[in-house]
Amino acid sequence: MAPKFQIKVFQISSLIKNFTIISIVTLSFLLVFFSKSDLYLINGIKNISNSVIIPITRVISAPLNAFSNFVDEYHKFRSLKFENKLLQEEIVRLKKWQTLAIQNSRENNVLKRLLNATDNNLILVKTASLINRNDTIYSKLINLNAGFEDKIKKNMSAINERGLIGKVIDTTSNNSRVILLTDPNLSISVKSISDGIFSLLTGNGDGKYLVSSFIKENKMPRLGDIVVTSGTAQIFPVDLLVGKVAKVEKNRFFVLPFVDFKNIDYVQIVTSK
Amino acid sequence: MEFSKFFNSIIKLNIILIISFSISVNSFILLPNINNAFYVLFHLTFIYLIFYHYHYYLYLVALVYGILFDILLLNNIGAHLITFLFLLMLFVLLRKYLIRLSSYQIIFIYFITLIILLLIEQFLANLIHNYKFNISSIFNFILISLIIFIPTVFLFRKLDK
Repeated sequence: MAPKFQIKVFQISSLIKNFTIISIVTLSFLLVFFSKSDLYLINGIKNISNSVIIPITRVISAPLNAFSNFVDEYHKFRSLKFENKLLQEEIVRLKKWQTLAIQNSRENNVLKRLLNATDNNLILVKTASLINRNDTIYSKLINLNAGFEDKIKKNMSAINERGLIGKVIDTTSNNSRVILLTDPNLSISVKSISDGIFSLLTGNGDGKYLVSSFIKENKMPRLGDIVVTSGTAQIFPVDLLVGKVAKVEKNRFFVLPFVDFKNIDYVQIVTSK
Repeated sequence: MEFSKFFNSIIKLNIILIISFSISVNSFILLPNINNAFYVLFHLTFIYLIFYHYHYYLYLVALVYGILFDILLLNNIGAHLITFLFLLMLFVLLRKYLIRLSSYQIIFIYFITLIILLLIEQFLANLIHNYKFNISSIFNFILISLIIFIPTVFLFRKLDK
């Protein structure tokens, strides 16, 4: 009786094994096929990944994070004296600018009233803080602690006090993912302030510069020109600060973003009025 | 004694998988290549598990990590999931030939598999989701692989003993 029983067990286990493998392979191909759709299952997986898996991975990688923070603090401490001197000089410079800015602001308000002009075209949706960043070979993304429950939607713009950071590509109930300007997979339409030259910028892949992928009428901006969003693609609101032209070549130019992508703590999600 | 019996090499390798996955999906500003190194380590561990500890639970491991890598790194399911499952199926087909090889040949195939796996993932990310990738990042991965490959193999052999 014993050998018969063993053979039977082997057959059943092999059947279960084959069935499991076939199910996993089929499920995988279905997931790949429907990954870009808005199916409940796909959204559920994304939701779990963002709200459950990311916090777990952060706990596991906490020692490395602590070491990274320690190194950061050490570097900051070493450059404290030099930074202090720089800041003192900057305070003097900013005080002069403040006086001028207050004057200009008053003038601006008076002129706006005279022209009956409408105000800023931005609506602030939510200010969120950064959970973690996925700065990898594939993409440059950040995860924020606010989602569609905070009225954040796909394609909304992310900014901070320095300028444009990127755009929202995915939202779950309490989290959202922002693709950074430095990602080679994101294109933004921009114009230069001084000449109004329209172009498209994409990430250069080095995480530092943006490079032009298309320039309207092949007109090159000048070195040092400030570049802002043009608003023509209707994804980003018009006139958001992007960066400064840092290098001009024969057929392309490089822009250094105003935002320090290594020091993003808080992000404002905005949209056009 | 009981604890060490429970804590066998497969459990240890799976713990390495979890840790390397967790570190590879988080970026550290001051340690820019650390997540890439752990990303390579994850692949090395996964290939090692397939080569030396093949079991059909690895299909489930491939499914879970494939989906998570795809969502966390690419925001779309595809490249990693297909690559992991393809590797498992290819191993099942070629297992009878791999058994005949010497240990040096196996090590060489182990390294080549790692490089091909990393390249296929990037190729599929480009093909399915139109993700751009540059040559410098590929060289970066190959360099990291070259650096960590031998120490990792030694570590794994030690864990197995």
